[in-house]
Amino acid sequence: MVPASPDAVDVDFNNSHARLRMNHLKVFDDHDLANSLTFGLGLPGDLGFPYPQISPVAPVRAFVSFDVEWNGALETAEIHNTAEHFEGTFLKTGATIRWSSEQPGFHFRSETPPDPSGNLVSVLGHERNGFFFS
Amino acid sequence: MKSSKPRDPPANSRRFFIGTVATAGTALGANLLLPNSAHAFNDQSCENARPKSIPGGVAPFNPFAIMIHHFPLNPAVPVAGINDPSQITDFHGFVGLTHIRGGGTGTDTKTGVSSPMAFQADMGFSTGKFIDIDGRRREGTFAFV
Repeated sequence: MVPASPDAVDVDFNNSHARLRMNHLKVFDDHDLANSLTFGLGLPGDLGFPYPQISPVAPVRAFVSFDVEWNGALETAEIHNTAEHFEGTFLKTGATIRWSSEQPGFHFRSETPPDPSGNLVSVLGHERNGFFFS
Repeated sequence: MKSSKPRDPPANSRRFFIGTVATAGTALGANLLLPNSAHAFNDQSCENARPKSIPGGVAPFNPFAIMIHHFPLNPAVPVAGINDPSQITDFHGFVGLTHIRGGGTGTDTKTGVSSPMAFQADMGFSTGKFIDIDGRRREGTFAFV
């Protein structure tokens, strides 16, 4: 997670709506998930683990901008989970995203307008966990 | 959590980056919750508060890679059965999480050549009150990118 300005997020929970917007956020392009999680070391492969060999790729500095919108409740649940110590009201919602990235030699722009059917699963919640769990 | 692929992935091309909203985000998400990490270098920080990660999470390349203190959403699971969608603990506030796919256009800025590409993102936010790693009550907003 990265710290964000308070105005990066707007939440209207009663209307099942929220928005996350950040511009020109510095990140590293780690090329792929394995390199992201191994700090660019890749995966060795063929050591008895069910992972393919993935060559190490050094991360590259990049910038991303995004506008994610949650909208419309599809399901609602009150959860009190004593195993994970969290509780609250949770909504499964629709969602869309617009995003772009820039790095030396390359840029990407997501489709506009974003396709709502691209939402696989999205959740909004008002929750308490850990110390605030009762 | 899955990394996505461009429709026509050039070998060793940085164009694969377009699939790494999820990938790069994983690094950011994981690293902010690790001590002494210099991997994320966001300077939009509104304060220096450091939240504590949730105890659980996933380790997709165990034992070769770091654990991610995050439970990816599963489209097949009803909302009543989800894991904690927050990445930080000792937290009281609003959270959002999304797992989403889409398309777009990648452009080689040296040649001007553009091509259609796909992406997959696992992103979210937490905004509210929390207790930081030093035990202080704080209020803040975080993005899971």
